Amino acid sequence: MKTIQTRFGEVTYDPSNVLHFPEGLIGLDQLKNFIVMPSKKKGPLFWIQCVDDPDFAFVVTDPTNFFLDYLVLPDDNERQKLGIDAQDDCFVLAIVSISEDKEITLNLSGPVLYAPASNRAMQVILEDSRYDTRTPLPKVG
Amino acid sequence: MLVLTRKPGEGIVIGDNITIKIIELKSGSIRIGIDAPRDTKIYREEIYDRIRQENIDASASWNMADLDTLIDKLTDRTLKK
Repeated sequence: MKTIQTRFGEVTYDPSNVLHFPEGLIGLDQLKNFIVMPSKKKGPLFWIQCVDDPDFAFVVTDPTNFFLDYLVLPDDNERQKLGIDAQDDCFVLAIVSISEDKEITLNLSGPVLYAPASNRAMQVILEDSRYDTRTPLPKVG
Repeated sequence: MLVLTRKPGEGIVIGDNITIKIIELKSGSIRIGIDAPRDTKIYREEIYDRIRQENIDASASWNMADLDTLIDKLTDRTLKK
Protein backbone atom coordinates (compact mmCIF):
# COMPACT_ATOMS: atom_id res chain seq x y z
CA MET A 1 0.00 0.00 0.00
CA LYS A 2 1.09 3.58 -0.65
CA THR A 3 0.03 6.82 0.94
CA ILE A 4 -0.22 10.31 -0.56
CA GLN A 5 -1.25 13.66 0.86
CA THR A 6 -4.06 15.28 -1.08
CA ARG A 7 -6.14 18.40 -0.54
CA PHE A 8 -8.77 16.08 0.89
CA GLY A 9 -6.38 14.56 3.38
CA GLU A 10 -4.30 11.43 3.43
CA VAL A 11 -5.18 8.74 0.89
CA THR A 12 -3.91 5.17 1.07
CA TYR A 13 -4.12 3.05 -2.05
CA ASP A 14 -3.02 -0.21 -3.57
CA PRO A 15 -0.65 0.59 -6.49
CA SER A 16 -1.89 -2.46 -8.39
CA ASN A 17 -5.36 -0.88 -8.51
CA VAL A 18 -4.49 2.39 -10.20
CA LEU A 19 -6.31 3.54 -13.29
CA HIS A 20 -3.56 4.16 -15.82
CA PHE A 21 -3.60 6.87 -18.49
CA PRO A 22 -0.61 5.85 -20.68
CA GLU A 23 -0.46 9.34 -22.20
CA GLY A 24 -1.63 11.34 -19.23
CA LEU A 25 -4.36 13.92 -19.68
CA ILE A 26 -4.34 16.32 -22.60
CA GLY A 27 -1.85 19.08 -21.90
CA LEU A 28 -1.03 17.47 -18.55
CA ASP A 29 0.89 14.39 -19.64
CA GLN A 30 2.47 14.00 -16.20
CA LEU A 31 -0.93 12.93 -14.81
CA LYS A 32 -0.81 9.23 -15.66
CA ASN A 33 -2.03 7.31 -12.62
CA PHE A 34 -5.27 7.77 -10.72
CA ILE A 35 -7.18 6.08 -7.95
CA VAL A 36 -10.91 5.75 -8.33
CA MET A 37 -12.22 7.04 -5.02
CA PRO A 38 -15.30 5.65 -3.35
CA SER A 39 -17.96 8.32 -2.89
CA LYS A 40 -19.72 8.54 0.42
CA LYS A 41 -22.98 8.66 -1.46
CA LYS A 42 -24.23 6.54 -4.31
CA GLY A 43 -25.07 8.54 -7.40
CA PRO A 44 -24.01 9.63 -10.86
CA LEU A 45 -20.80 11.41 -9.83
CA PHE A 46 -17.57 9.91 -8.59
CA TRP A 47 -14.05 11.21 -8.33
CA ILE A 48 -10.56 10.19 -9.29
CA GLN A 49 -7.44 11.27 -7.44
CA CYS A 50 -4.14 11.62 -9.28
CA VAL A 51 -1.23 9.93 -7.52
CA ASP A 52 1.52 11.49 -9.67
CA ASP A 53 0.52 15.00 -8.62
CA PRO A 54 -1.80 14.90 -5.60
CA ASP A 55 -3.02 18.45 -6.34
CA PHE A 56 -5.12 17.05 -9.17
CA ALA A 57 -8.44 15.33 -8.57
CA PHE A 58 -11.39 15.20 -10.93
CA VAL A 59 -15.10 14.65 -10.59
CA VAL A 60 -16.24 12.40 -13.41
CA THR A 61 -19.55 11.02 -14.62
CA ASP A 62 -21.02 8.77 -17.25
CA PRO A 63 -22.23 11.44 -19.70
CA THR A 64 -24.83 9.09 -21.18
CA ASN A 65 -26.67 9.52 -17.88
CA PHE A 66 -27.54 12.99 -19.16
CA PHE A 67 -26.96 12.86 -22.92
CA LEU A 68 -28.42 9.62 -24.26
CA ASP A 69 -27.04 10.01 -27.78
CA TYR A 70 -23.49 10.88 -26.75
CA LEU A 71 -21.32 8.14 -28.17
CA VAL A 72 -17.54 8.01 -28.33
CA LEU A 73 -15.85 4.90 -29.66
CA PRO A 74 -12.12 4.25 -29.73
CA ASP A 75 -10.43 3.81 -33.10
CA ASP A 76 -7.85 1.06 -33.72
CA ASN A 77 -5.02 3.28 -32.58
CA GLU A 78 -6.82 4.24 -29.37
CA ARG A 79 -7.72 0.62 -28.64
CA GLN A 80 -4.07 -0.26 -28.97
CA LYS A 81 -3.11 2.43 -26.46
CA LEU A 82 -5.85 1.19 -24.15
CA GLY A 83 -4.59 -2.37 -24.52
CA ILE A 84 -7.93 -3.81 -25.62
CA ASP A 85 -9.40 -5.63 -28.62
CA ALA A 86 -12.43 -4.65 -30.66
CA GLN A 87 -14.72 -6.95 -28.64
CA ASP A 88 -13.63 -5.51 -25.26
CA ASP A 89 -15.82 -2.98 -23.49
CA CYS A 90 -14.86 0.68 -23.65
CA PHE A 91 -16.87 3.24 -21.72
CA VAL A 92 -16.90 6.99 -22.01
CA LEU A 93 -16.56 9.31 -19.02
CA ALA A 94 -16.79 13.08 -18.85
CA ILE A 95 -14.81 15.35 -16.56
CA VAL A 96 -17.10 17.58 -14.53
CA SER A 97 -16.62 21.24 -13.62
CA ILE A 98 -18.53 22.80 -10.78
CA SER A 99 -19.28 26.50 -11.13
CA GLU A 100 -19.39 29.01 -8.29
CA ASP A 101 -23.19 28.79 -8.27
CA LYS A 102 -22.85 25.01 -7.91
CA GLU A 103 -24.06 24.08 -11.35
CA ILE A 104 -22.17 21.41 -13.21
CA THR A 105 -20.88 21.34 -16.76
CA LEU A 106 -19.43 18.35 -18.57
CA ASN A 107 -16.38 18.46 -20.77
CA LEU A 108 -17.91 16.73 -23.78
CA SER A 109 -15.22 17.90 -26.18
CA GLY A 110 -12.46 16.20 -24.18
CA PRO A 111 -14.01 12.94 -22.96
CA VAL A 112 -12.17 10.06 -21.34
CA LEU A 113 -12.27 6.56 -22.80
CA TYR A 114 -12.11 3.88 -20.13
CA ALA A 115 -11.28 0.23 -20.74
CA PRO A 116 -12.12 -1.93 -17.70
CA ALA A 117 -10.31 -4.99 -19.11
CA SER A 118 -6.93 -3.25 -18.96
CA ASN A 119 -7.86 -0.62 -16.34
CA ARG A 120 -6.50 1.99 -18.72
CA ALA A 121 -7.97 5.25 -19.86
CA MET A 122 -7.20 8.08 -22.22
CA GLN A 123 -8.54 11.53 -22.86
CA VAL A 124 -9.46 12.26 -26.45
CA ILE A 125 -10.50 15.42 -28.30
CA LEU A 126 -13.73 15.53 -30.29
CA GLU A 127 -13.76 18.28 -32.88
CA ASP A 128 -17.54 18.43 -32.94
CA SER A 129 -19.06 21.88 -32.59
CA ARG A 130 -22.09 20.48 -30.71
CA TYR A 131 -19.87 19.68 -27.76
CA ASP A 132 -18.11 22.15 -25.53
CA THR A 133 -15.55 21.85 -22.74
CA ARG A 134 -18.31 23.27 -20.52
CA THR A 135 -21.52 21.71 -21.74
CA PRO A 136 -24.37 22.42 -19.30
CA LEU A 137 -26.83 19.66 -18.49
CA PRO A 138 -29.85 19.63 -20.78
CA LYS A 139 -32.71 21.75 -19.51
CA VAL A 140 -35.35 19.80 -17.69
CA GLY A 141 -38.54 19.98 -19.75
CA MET B 1 11.17 29.28 -32.46
CA LEU B 2 12.57 28.26 -35.81
CA VAL B 3 10.97 30.34 -38.56
CA LEU B 4 11.10 29.20 -42.19
CA THR B 5 9.59 30.69 -45.34
CA ARG B 6 7.78 28.21 -47.60
CA LYS B 7 5.68 28.46 -50.78
CA PRO B 8 2.58 26.43 -51.64
CA GLY B 9 3.69 22.94 -52.68
CA GLU B 10 6.80 23.11 -50.52
CA GLY B 11 7.16 21.26 -47.28
CA ILE B 12 9.02 20.73 -44.05
CA VAL B 13 10.33 17.44 -42.72
CA ILE B 14 10.45 17.01 -38.93
CA GLY B 15 12.49 14.07 -37.72
CA ASP B 16 12.35 10.93 -39.83
CA ASN B 17 8.63 10.47 -40.16
CA ILE B 18 6.72 13.74 -40.06
CA THR B 19 6.21 15.85 -43.18
CA ILE B 20 4.24 19.07 -43.31
CA LYS B 21 3.21 20.45 -46.70
CA ILE B 22 1.87 23.88 -47.53
CA ILE B 23 -1.14 23.12 -49.76
CA GLU B 24 -2.51 26.55 -50.61
CA LEU B 25 -3.10 30.10 -49.43
CA LYS B 26 -6.68 31.22 -49.62
CA SER B 27 -8.32 34.35 -48.24
CA GLY B 28 -5.99 34.84 -45.33
CA SER B 29 -5.78 31.15 -44.37
CA ILE B 30 -3.13 28.58 -45.10
CA ARG B 31 -4.08 24.96 -45.75
CA ILE B 32 -1.46 22.53 -44.63
CA GLY B 33 -1.15 18.79 -45.01
CA ILE B 34 0.54 16.64 -42.40
CA ASP B 35 1.97 13.17 -42.86
CA ALA B 36 2.79 11.58 -39.53
CA PRO B 37 2.67 8.14 -37.90
CA ARG B 38 -0.85 7.17 -36.85
CA ASP B 39 -0.08 7.38 -33.16
CA THR B 40 1.18 10.98 -33.39
CA LYS B 41 -1.31 13.26 -31.70
CA ILE B 42 -2.13 16.29 -33.84
CA TYR B 43 -4.50 18.99 -32.59
CA ARG B 44 -5.46 22.51 -33.53
CA GLU B 45 -3.56 24.53 -30.95
CA GLU B 46 -6.50 26.53 -29.59
CA ILE B 47 -8.53 23.36 -29.03
CA TYR B 48 -5.65 21.61 -27.29
CA ASP B 49 -5.13 24.70 -25.11
CA ARG B 50 -8.83 24.87 -24.24
CA ILE B 51 -8.94 21.23 -23.12
CA ARG B 52 -5.75 21.64 -21.12
CA GLN B 53 -7.08 24.73 -19.35
CA GLU B 54 -10.43 23.05 -18.71
CA ASN B 55 -8.63 20.10 -17.10
CA ILE B 56 -6.79 22.48 -14.77
CA ASP B 57 -9.95 24.46 -13.97
CA ALA B 58 -12.08 21.34 -13.48
CA SER B 59 -9.65 19.91 -10.95
CA ALA B 60 -9.64 23.16 -8.98
CA SER B 61 -13.41 23.76 -9.25
CA TRP B 62 -14.76 21.46 -6.54
CA ASN B 63 -14.61 20.33 -2.97
CA MET B 64 -16.03 17.37 -1.12
CA ALA B 65 -19.12 19.24 0.13
CA ASP B 66 -20.02 20.19 -3.48
CA LEU B 67 -19.73 16.58 -4.52
CA ASP B 68 -22.10 15.31 -1.84
CA THR B 69 -24.65 18.04 -2.56
CA LEU B 70 -24.52 17.48 -6.30
CA ILE B 71 -24.83 13.72 -6.07
CA ASP B 72 -28.11 14.21 -4.21
CA LYS B 73 -29.31 16.82 -6.65
CA LEU B 74 -28.41 14.91 -9.78
CA THR B 75 -29.53 11.43 -8.91
CA ASP B 76 -33.09 12.37 -9.92
CA ARG B 77 -31.87 13.74 -13.21
CA THR B 78 -30.12 10.70 -14.57
CA LEU B 79 -31.76 9.04 -17.54
CA LYS B 80 -30.56 5.57 -16.65
CA LYS B 81 -31.27 4.13 -13.26
